[in-house]
Amino acid sequence: MVDVIGASESDLMAQTLRRLAGEFDGVHLSKALADFGFVEVLDEAPREAVSALFDALGQAGSMSTALQDVLLQPLTGLLEGATSAYSVVLPRIGAPLAGSLDGDVVTLRGLLIGHRPATAFVVPVAARGETAWVSVADPSVLSTRVVAGLDPALAITEVGSAGLAATVVSFGEQASELWNAVATAGRRALGYQIVGAVGAMIDLAVAHACDRVQFGRPIGSFQGVRNRLAEAYVAWTAAAAALELAWEADDECLAGMLAKSLAGRAARIAATHCQQVLAGIGFTAEHPFHRYLARALVLDSVLGSTPELRRAIGQLLVSTGTIPRLVEL
Amino acid sequence: MQVHDFRAGVRAWIDARGHELVAPLGDDSVDAQLDHQRRIQRMLFDDGWMRWGWPKRLGGFGGSATLRAVLGEELTSRALVHTTSWSMHEVLGPAVAEFGRPEVVEEIFPRLLRGDEFWCQGFSEPDAGSDLGSLRTTARAYSDGWLINGEKLWTSFAQHATRCVVLARTGEPGSRGVSAFLVDMDAPGVSASPLRTMAGVDEFCSTSFIDVQVPAHRLLGDANGGWRVAQYILSCERGPIFWQRGAWLGHHLGMLLGAAHNAASQTALGEAYEMLWAFRARSKATQDRIALGDLPGPEASVDKILIAAADQAVFDAARELLAGAIEADDTPRGRAWRREWAYSRAATIYGGTSEIQKDVVATRLLGLPRSA
Repeated sequence: MVDVIGASESDLMAQTLRRLAGEFDGVHLSKALADFGFVEVLDEAPREAVSALFDALGQAGSMSTALQDVLLQPLTGLLEGATSAYSVVLPRIGAPLAGSLDGDVVTLRGLLIGHRPATAFVVPVAARGETAWVSVADPSVLSTRVVAGLDPALAITEVGSAGLAATVVSFGEQASELWNAVATAGRRALGYQIVGAVGAMIDLAVAHACDRVQFGRPIGSFQGVRNRLAEAYVAWTAAAAALELAWEADDECLAGMLAKSLAGRAARIAATHCQQVLAGIGFTAEHPFHRYLARALVLDSVLGSTPELRRAIGQLLVSTGTIPRLVEL
Repeated sequence: MQVHDFRAGVRAWIDARGHELVAPLGDDSVDAQLDHQRRIQRMLFDDGWMRWGWPKRLGGFGGSATLRAVLGEELTSRALVHTTSWSMHEVLGPAVAEFGRPEVVEEIFPRLLRGDEFWCQGFSEPDAGSDLGSLRTTARAYSDGWLINGEKLWTSFAQHATRCVVLARTGEPGSRGVSAFLVDMDAPGVSASPLRTMAGVDEFCSTSFIDVQVPAHRLLGDANGGWRVAQYILSCERGPIFWQRGAWLGHHLGMLLGAAHNAASQTALGEAYEMLWAFRARSKATQDRIALGDLPGPEASVDKILIAAADQAVFDAARELLAGAIEADDTPRGRAWRREWAYSRAATIYGGTSEIQKDVVATRLLGLPRSA
């Protein structure tokens, strides 16, 4: 890739990423993205690369190791060697961090998502009121469980260990700032992926509402159905707008939390309303709807669900004592 | 004038005047609210800030509508003016400038900007609310002008207004037979009776027009072309007015920060801020488009739904966090919160109900078949 990406190159790059996310999935998609040079693109034009790829992943229902590329980007200066030799362990659903450090002994309880096989792990953990990053060079010492759960195709893995000698790579203020940066990068990417899946849910429900005839007319002409789909659409556009501004707001961490929270909100609204409009057919295993529903709701729970983020946002506002505008006209 | 410089200038102006700009405490009547606004507006006009963003031929200094949004934002985010009354020149000004006869508009517009005049909007009727196209007020050709008869409802600030933009039927049934007029409120036959709101405010009126003579040059746009004027006005409401309403909401949310002591109240605060951000993120794109000269289309229905939701979320949070203030506090502070909370109940109703907006979204943006 060239050093500076122009508008047409950016469009072409976005088109290619969208095409790859639609054509491939899993290891095949990861290989296709590696061949395309996704990590280099991410360095040069993170906003364009993340928005195009993750929205497309959401729409296609596919997954790749690209999330790890995004999570590792803020850690580039911290890790020895290529970041591709690592995977970031995220906190489990509902947890603030992926374990705890006591002296030089670490206890891990984390979640891997979109990870590459056979890499070392870097893990954000709590360390007596502070934050630390630890690395685990040999993951074979950890217990792992591939989660079937609500969305088996996502193939997330729970990792854990009792007391383990840890290598601390960052501690305190720096570690906390790095965690904010990694979490923000992850929230933006997952936000786009959720929004992509929400868009797919709305498309399926709108197509059904236009085709399905009851009482002699398409069900999309009934106000009860129209209102549900309009509400899903409004929530979807609000989340998309918040994601756009998550790259340019004064406080990227807060804007990332807001965007992810609004994406989760859109997921909840669309999952409910689109399922109701699709009715019986949307409840079958054969119809693709349930895969988008599962993907959006599971991703909502990773890196802070909507209710968790709302509380964290409220706490942040109280602690800073202001209502930030975040952007000006 | 760059937006950044304008904002800095407005802020410095506000800081320099300090307490001069703060509304006197104690009197929460609409009369006091408008007296205060007139005073501030005159100062802003004399010092030029009120004139930016309006065309030069109308007494303005030119520049984009964004400048007006910024002025409204800086004033309302400090609660120096009340958003509802501050928005009236924004609702009606652009449409009158666009559709009014030049000789009429050039004479009266500077007076509007200076606060010497206040305008109101005569759209809704007792039997024409969401179905505005069915309105029954008539305008008949008479001598060399028009004769207007009918009743308008929910005419905000009509009892204080100098002029009213009136929609009246001049032709066939439905929206194609409607014309828009700029009517003097002191013309014989016009009378406005305030209707007290549940907020205890005499803000809107029932306004009747009995054989009101309107000269031909007060027609806005073409005869039977009033629907275009109405659409223009409705789309203008989605511009700087929404942005400053958002700033007003942010100001009120800020007053709740000291009351969020536990997890539940912090979550309520976070949710209200999130809804406000959903609106602002969406509206930012709309404001940017308006600055480039675009008139918001059906997409702006999304903005309307979002700001109504944010409005109610902010004041719902206030009711939770300020336990008892809205229900039982009779101090000026309690009365002010009660008034704002009550007003927020109407956010999903005025300016086109949320149901009408959802219908626009369903048909125009999602392509669903029209409802039967």
